[in-house]
Amino acid sequence: MISLSHYLVLGAILFSLSVAGIFLNRKNMIVLLMSIELMLLSVNMNFIAFSHFLGDTAGQVFVFFILTVAAAEAAIGLAILVVLFRNRRTINVGDLDALKG
Amino acid sequence: MTAEQFFFYAFAAMTVASAAMVITVRNPVYAVLSLVLTFVASAGLWLLLEAEFLAIALVLVYVGAVMVLFLFVVMMLDINLARLKEGFIRYLPLGVAVAVAMALMMALVVGPEHFGLERVPAPERHGPEYSNTEALGRVLYTVYVYPFEIASVILTVAIVAAIALTLRRRPHTKYQNPDEQIAVRREDRVRLVSMKPERRE
Amino acid sequence: MLEHYLPVVIFLVVGLGVGVVMISLGFVMGRRRPDAEKLSPYECGFEAFEDSRMKFDVRYYLVAILFIIFDLEIAFLFPWAVVLEDIGLFGFLAMVLFLGILVIGFIYEWKKGALEWE
Repeated sequence: MISLSHYLVLGAILFSLSVAGIFLNRKNMIVLLMSIELMLLSVNMNFIAFSHFLGDTAGQVFVFFILTVAAAEAAIGLAILVVLFRNRRTINVGDLDALKG
Repeated sequence: MTAEQFFFYAFAAMTVASAAMVITVRNPVYAVLSLVLTFVASAGLWLLLEAEFLAIALVLVYVGAVMVLFLFVVMMLDINLARLKEGFIRYLPLGVAVAVAMALMMALVVGPEHFGLERVPAPERHGPEYSNTEALGRVLYTVYVYPFEIASVILTVAIVAAIALTLRRRPHTKYQNPDEQIAVRREDRVRLVSMKPERRE
Repeated sequence: MLEHYLPVVIFLVVGLGVGVVMISLGFVMGRRRPDAEKLSPYECGFEAFEDSRMKFDVRYYLVAILFIIFDLEIAFLFPWAVVLEDIGLFGFLAMVLFLGILVIGFIYEWKKGALEWE
């Protein structure tokens, strides 16, 4: 039988992978945004696993709201990315140093 | 091995493998497609957890819309891939070390001795008359009505922000107005002037 | 309950099988003698001008964003439609308010001309 800890460990692995993705792709803003989506997915996985094993629908409601917020976040984040690319011709995080003292 | 175990391990392996591809492949288009596979495999896992509605919503909203948006952006920007990958090798050991350490620590916390089947027994599976969508809807619009309205405010903010950021009018574009073109009459274009015949000198 | 997904599993297996068999058959049985000329991009007689990846217009992006927002709105409508008889007038009014707030955003985008393709 599959226990709750199976799903929680899977969520932990997904979360660690996305943290590693932020470390490895620290220059590419698109992959950084995708790593954030992956993190939200691992959190959703935990929510749904707990919702199933504790028999409480509230976890699924939370996941629905997280999906909503994540979609809005992706839309605005990518809009900012597009404007950034239009003005600076780059999405390299290292080049965005206009605020550097 | 029961069917449930088989599908859990199959989907979990697919999820982890494609998530690893997301963060390592060189071409961002492949990264987006791997992320799509990750979402589809997780939707399969959510089906195992009897969250049918959210599994479908994940495929509809994420695979159908958000990932398409990512693909659009990747295709829209011509980016220098070589420059974006620099530092990958340099930070590889650190990234792997941090990821492994984090995964091990979290696995210690959520391991079988705390959340195993003895501590949290598997619930009885619902019969065929159970509808996950109904169960979700019954609380979403009554108990959670306030967050539900806030969700619509967030969506409106996303609309306004996206338009304010990316909509750009080009003041100098010239374009046709077929409506005016068709509505034109002879009097608007031709003026008949009656004049005396003039003698040539 | 899970045994009801058997048709979906069969569908997945058949789909995967057909795809894998076709690609691997082409890979195994096809004749391949690549050379530099065959592998180079062909552009009707002259050297290729640019990368094969074409840039998209930003206006597609705006349409895609608006699609996401209204996609989520539809996702919220599904459970509501299923349980409308149970949640009564309160649930109905909750959805009216939800849609009303989103209509404000819709009017904004209409007035701003984001839906027009000049």
